[in-house]
Amino acid sequence: MSKSDPHNFLPLKTQWFHIMLCLAGGEQHGYGIMQEVLERSAGKVRLWPATLYGSLKRLIEAELIVESDERPAPELDDARRRYYRLTALGRRVLNAECDRLQELVRAIRLKQRLVTE
Amino acid sequence: MNFALRIYLWLAEAFPHEFKLVYGTEVRQLGEDVVQEIAKQNGIGGLIRLIADIAVRVPLEYLSEMRRDLRYAVRALIKSPGFALVGIISLGLGMGVTTSQVSKMWAQMFRGLPAVANPQELVLPQNPVSYYYVEQYRAQKSLFAAVAAFQNGVPFNVAFQGDGKARPQRVFGQLVSPEYFSVLGVKPQRGRVLDPALDKPGDVPVVVITDRFWRNRLNSSPDALGQTLRLNGQPATIVGITPKDFKGAMPLAPTELFVPVTVPAALAPELANDVLHNRGAKAFLALMRMAPGVSIESAEAGLDSVTRRLDQQDLSNPRRNDKSRRVTLLPGGTVLPIPRALKPVVVAFVAALTGLVLTIACMNLANMLLARGAARRKELAIRLAVGASRFRLIRQMLTEGILIAMLGGISGFGLAYWFSILSSKIKLPQAVPEEFDNAIDWHALVFTFTLAIVCGIGFSLAPALQATKADVAPTLKEGAAIQLRGYRRFGMRNLLVVGQVAGSLMLLLMTGFLVMGINKMSNIQTKFDPNRMYLLSIDPVRDGYSPEKAVALFEKLPERLKAVSAVRSMALAAEAPFSIVGRTAQLSTAKSSGDASEKLTLVAKETVGAGYFATLSEPMLAGREFTERDQRMEAAADGSKTALPVVLNESAARRLFGNGTAVGKRVTEDQQSYDVVGVVSDLKNGIPDDDQPAAVVYLPLTRRDFASPPAGGMTILVRSDAGIDALGGVRREIASMDPNLAVFDVRTLAEYLQTSRAAMRLSLDMCGGIGLFGLVLAAIGLAGVTAYAVARRRKEIGIRMALGARKAQVLGLVLREGVALVTAGTILGFLGAMALVKTLSALTSVFSDAFQVSTSDPRLLLGAPLLLAGLAMLACYVPARRSMKIDPVKALRQE
Repeated sequence: MSKSDPHNFLPLKTQWFHIMLCLAGGEQHGYGIMQEVLERSAGKVRLWPATLYGSLKRLIEAELIVESDERPAPELDDARRRYYRLTALGRRVLNAECDRLQELVRAIRLKQRLVTE
Repeated sequence: MNFALRIYLWLAEAFPHEFKLVYGTEVRQLGEDVVQEIAKQNGIGGLIRLIADIAVRVPLEYLSEMRRDLRYAVRALIKSPGFALVGIISLGLGMGVTTSQVSKMWAQMFRGLPAVANPQELVLPQNPVSYYYVEQYRAQKSLFAAVAAFQNGVPFNVAFQGDGKARPQRVFGQLVSPEYFSVLGVKPQRGRVLDPALDKPGDVPVVVITDRFWRNRLNSSPDALGQTLRLNGQPATIVGITPKDFKGAMPLAPTELFVPVTVPAALAPELANDVLHNRGAKAFLALMRMAPGVSIESAEAGLDSVTRRLDQQDLSNPRRNDKSRRVTLLPGGTVLPIPRALKPVVVAFVAALTGLVLTIACMNLANMLLARGAARRKELAIRLAVGASRFRLIRQMLTEGILIAMLGGISGFGLAYWFSILSSKIKLPQAVPEEFDNAIDWHALVFTFTLAIVCGIGFSLAPALQATKADVAPTLKEGAAIQLRGYRRFGMRNLLVVGQVAGSLMLLLMTGFLVMGINKMSNIQTKFDPNRMYLLSIDPVRDGYSPEKAVALFEKLPERLKAVSAVRSMALAAEAPFSIVGRTAQLSTAKSSGDASEKLTLVAKETVGAGYFATLSEPMLAGREFTERDQRMEAAADGSKTALPVVLNESAARRLFGNGTAVGKRVTEDQQSYDVVGVVSDLKNGIPDDDQPAAVVYLPLTRRDFASPPAGGMTILVRSDAGIDALGGVRREIASMDPNLAVFDVRTLAEYLQTSRAAMRLSLDMCGGIGLFGLVLAAIGLAGVTAYAVARRRKEIGIRMALGARKAQVLGLVLREGVALVTAGTILGFLGAMALVKTLSALTSVFSDAFQVSTSDPRLLLGAPLLLAGLAMLACYVPARRSMKIDPVKALRQE
């Protein structure tokens, strides 16, 4: 079982998936991740602060994300905040998870059609 | 909202150091940023979620850190397997011994009886009383809620319906008054239990069986209820089955049947001679449930005065004006009821012994951890320098210690389990077998692992503190080989070594004293080859004989057996020779009560037949032994009229009559008076026991004994000439007298002595094993310390050698420290052992007897310290030799 096999991480925990999905668009800090998830889910999913940082720590330990060295443009930068981005492995894991979820959705659709007919 | 934020920030502070170092600021920051927004959007519920979230995450972070520590510890242990193995084995042995001792003690002295309601309310007077007294006790409603009488270890020859051909089985049970089950608060599993309202004298005899009897002897038959058993040849109907775990009161004697005292005496010979109405027949134990709110002390005081009053009413009782205490109450709800005063002594002894073992084991571990900690100073210093908190490092080292302790705990628990299996196979040489239920239960499991954690923390905390105390800068500069300050004086390691040597010497001496003392006392000497004597038991009354028929049989038996060609001599006895005699008698030389010259002495009581001493080749020192004429005497119920002849052993004669002649004198016990007809030399009795004085009075077997033989049946001693098998002839002869008579417990005296000492031997072996184990541990510890000292002083030794020190000088240098430590430890240990022996001897005579014989034995007094010192020096020498192999060039170049 190789550590770099993305399938070893599946299925992803919900919080991990949301965080990684945010970082797919580019690097982001904790507060930003929280806001984005909140907006995307229309206020339904809130990553509570302690859970958020606990998850970030574990994602780093799992080598799915890293702390980013690059800072955004100075006028947007908040010096106190750390930025995170996906690693190559993280990206592959996210893709695999998305494929898995799409598979599921397809299965659900198929079933629904059978039920409605 | 501000309040919520404050809690949030306070909780954020509680995160582990390393987490805070990285995320602390941001967690705080984010909380401050979002708290307003959350309050607006989600209201109070949102704020609660915010706090709940962080409250859950904090412990989770700690857990994940612990998991990492654990993984690190496992890896560290795998890397040094020798260290891990020695630690685990020594702790495992220590904890195994401790657990098995503690769980045994707990099971027997503290655990309530199974299936019994509120066992702590049950009490039991130490001495048996007459049934009349029990009835009077029952009237004390203010003291006792309920009172029952019972007899324990009563044998029944049980025959089952349907198979008339099969030999009856000998089953042990209790003879109980109908109140018995209501006192215990036991409900039946099936049918009914005994009840004073339902079980009246003269009714059809009934019996209540245990679940074990039902399962093993009736195959859990569903129609067991209502079935008729033949008990001692008489029919009795099964009316109920007790709950699964119920084993009756005092379950050391296995109980399978409960027979009410209302049955006729033909069914239970114990009830013969109208014992229920005879005030002098102290045949029953009282089992009492204290009334609510009554303490055991006030119950005892109350019962004492009641008993005193009853004794005074009984004009024939010679002790009626005796001022001493009459009643000692034992806790009746435990497996082994022992007097309350004795409990702390037993607990203290177990605690002292197991504490010593455990301490030695733990010291070993501490010593090894200390050595490791010192070797890891550099690593630790680096980690401290880059920002690890000291607390974190200590916790990591604790994890390692706890891991070793836990693994030790698992092996210790396995060991304790094995001990319990081993000890359950032990059979004690008693007429009524005893059953030890030493099954290790969850209490023991909890105990072991609590112990493991305490040991793990306790003995890795000090090394961890010391290892992380290092000043970072000098440690990093000088490297791992830095000389510890004060190492050669009173460093903790040196103290530990001294303590270890002292502790193991104490253990060795203590166990040695016990082993040698008991060995000497249990040295049974027969004046003939014990393989040439056979012991057989018969019990005709329980085979359905009427008392008259049984007496007739026993009067015929000696003639018939002596006629068997191979038999040289034979005798009857109520119990096997050299057995543990439970019965004692208070003998008095007084002719009338109040006689000034009265001498009282407590002696063991044995009942033996004609020709007993001749059969054992024991010469009479004076007078004669019993003859068949004595055996035909009637021991009347009010025995004061007829004086029975008795034989005293030497010790008893000396205690009662000093150096004067004993033969022809009269002694009394309660109402019974005896004429001393002979004095025999002391038979070595074998098993040391607190209750067993060396003085013995031998009573003759009488018709009454034949009519109701003791629990073990009547024992026949048969001696034959060398090379001839007498047993076949004897069996044939008995069968020719009555083919249905069951002959049981057939064995040679040698076999009997063997089994009787097996239990003692096992406990001695265990005792000795513990002593040796302490020795080995101390040696391991010492070897480790010396090896470590050599390694640490490499550089110093290298310089000395480079400057011209000879190898012998270097060796001396290293050994000198070891010698000093061992000497100090030996002296301390010797003094400690002596103090402990004195204390324990003062506490109870069980130990003083054993210690007396052996504490002056020079083999032990000199041998044990020399053995320990020798082994310790060897343990020093082997690693010290390595100092001679140090190459000065290499040692100096290393830096």
